[in-house]
Amino acid sequence: MSALIGTALTQRYGSEVALDDVDIAIDGGEHLAVLGENGAGKTTLLRILATASRPTSGSLEIFGLDAMLERRRLRARIGFVAHAPGLYPALSAAENLEFFCTLQGVPRARAVEVLDLVGLADAGRRPTAKLSRGAQQRLAIGRAVLHDPRLLVLDEPDASLDSDGADLLARVMRGRTAVIATHDHALANRLCQRTLVLRRGHVVGVPTRLRVVH
Amino acid sequence: MRTISIALAVARKDMTSEWRTRELVPALAQFVVLALVIANFAFQIDSRNAAAIAPGVLWMALVFAGLVAFGRAFAAEREQASLEAMLLTPAAPAAIFAGKALAAALLLAICEAVLLPTLALFFGVRLSFDVVSAVLLATVGMAVLGCLFAAMVARVRARELLLPVLTLPLWIPFIVVGGQAVQAAMGGSVTGQATGLLLDLDILFVVLTSLAARFVLDD
Repeated sequence: MSALIGTALTQRYGSEVALDDVDIAIDGGEHLAVLGENGAGKTTLLRILATASRPTSGSLEIFGLDAMLERRRLRARIGFVAHAPGLYPALSAAENLEFFCTLQGVPRARAVEVLDLVGLADAGRRPTAKLSRGAQQRLAIGRAVLHDPRLLVLDEPDASLDSDGADLLARVMRGRTAVIATHDHALANRLCQRTLVLRRGHVVGVPTRLRVVH
Repeated sequence: MRTISIALAVARKDMTSEWRTRELVPALAQFVVLALVIANFAFQIDSRNAAAIAPGVLWMALVFAGLVAFGRAFAAEREQASLEAMLLTPAAPAAIFAGKALAAALLLAICEAVLLPTLALFFGVRLSFDVVSAVLLATVGMAVLGCLFAAMVARVRARELLLPVLTLPLWIPFIVVGGQAVQAAMGGSVTGQATGLLLDLDILFVVLTSLAARFVLDD
C-alpha cells in the first residue's frame, strides 16, 4: 500500500518552473533516493513532501491524508532534515532536543535516547555553536526522529557527515518510509530500494528499482 | 494547556539564548540611555516643563527600542533557519507566536527597567506605580503587534524599513493613551481611565494577533 502519492506536482517561482508535473508514489517502509544535479528540483520536491511548502498545483496524499488540508496532523508523522540544520547555537545539543520534545509533545527523556542514537551522548551539554558541522548535522537528524515519525524526508543529509554517516542514516531510516535527496549514488544504492532522477524539474525515465534492503 | 507549555518553552528558549549571547539587551539599554542623554541636551529642561517633556521622550525611546527588539525576534530565527523547524512540528503557530511575543515583551521590559530610573534621574520626574503600569501595559500590546509584523517581514530583504512603516501606525493608540497616562501620573493626577483603555487595547490586539498568527507563520 502506498504511503505517499503525489500527482502532477508542480512548483513555479514567478516564470521559473522548479518542478514540472512530477508524479511520485512510495510504498510503506520503502526508501526512495532522489538524484539529480544542482537545481534539478530535489529540494523543491522534498520540501513539498515534508509539507514545508505548498506546490503551485498538483495533489499530495500522505498516509491517506490530504497533505494540503491536514498539514498539522501530518507533521506529527513526518521528520524532515533540511539543508540548514536550523538549530539554536546558544543552546546545548540536549537543550535543543528537549525544546523540540516540548513542541512535538513527547517526553523530554526522549532527548537522551536520541542523543545516544545519533552518537552525541558525550556532547549533549556542549553548546551547539561549538559542535562541528558534522555533529550539528547529526543533531538535526536526531531532531527529525525525535517524535518517531513514520515518514522521513532527508535533504542531502550526508553533507558534512563523516565516514560513519551512512550507518547513522541506515539506523534512523530502518522501519520507516524514507525519501532521501543525495548526490552520492553509492549511498543511494546502499540505503534505498528505488531511485528517482530529476533534471530541470522533470522526472527522467522511470523510477529505477535497486535492490531490497533488509 | 499544551498551548501554554509551548508558548512558555519558546519564551524560555529565547530568554536563555539572550542570556547566554547578550546580543540584544545591553545594546538596547545603551540605546535608551543615549536617547535620554541626547534629549536632556536637546531640550531646555527645568522643574516647570520636565513633567510635560519627559513622557514624550520616554515614548520615543520606547518605540525605537521596541522596533529593534521585535524586529530581532523573528529575524534571528529566519537567519538560523530554525523558524521552519519549529513550524514543522504539530505545535500551533499561535502558541509559537505567543512565546516569541512574550520573550520580546520581557526583553523590552528589561530595557524599561533601565529606561525609567534613568528618566527619573535626568528629568527629575516622579516614578509611581501608575507610570510603571502604563508602560508595562503598553509594552504588551506593542509586543504582540510588533512581533506579528516582524514575522510578516522577516523573509523580506527590506525588513528593517518595512517593520516601522507597518508597525508605527498601529502603535499610535498605545503611544497616545500611554502618553496621557504617564503625563497624568507624573503630574500627580489619576490615570484610571487611560490605564483601563490600555488594558482594553491589549486584550483587543492579543486576540487579533493570535488569530492572525496562523496565517502569517504557516504559509
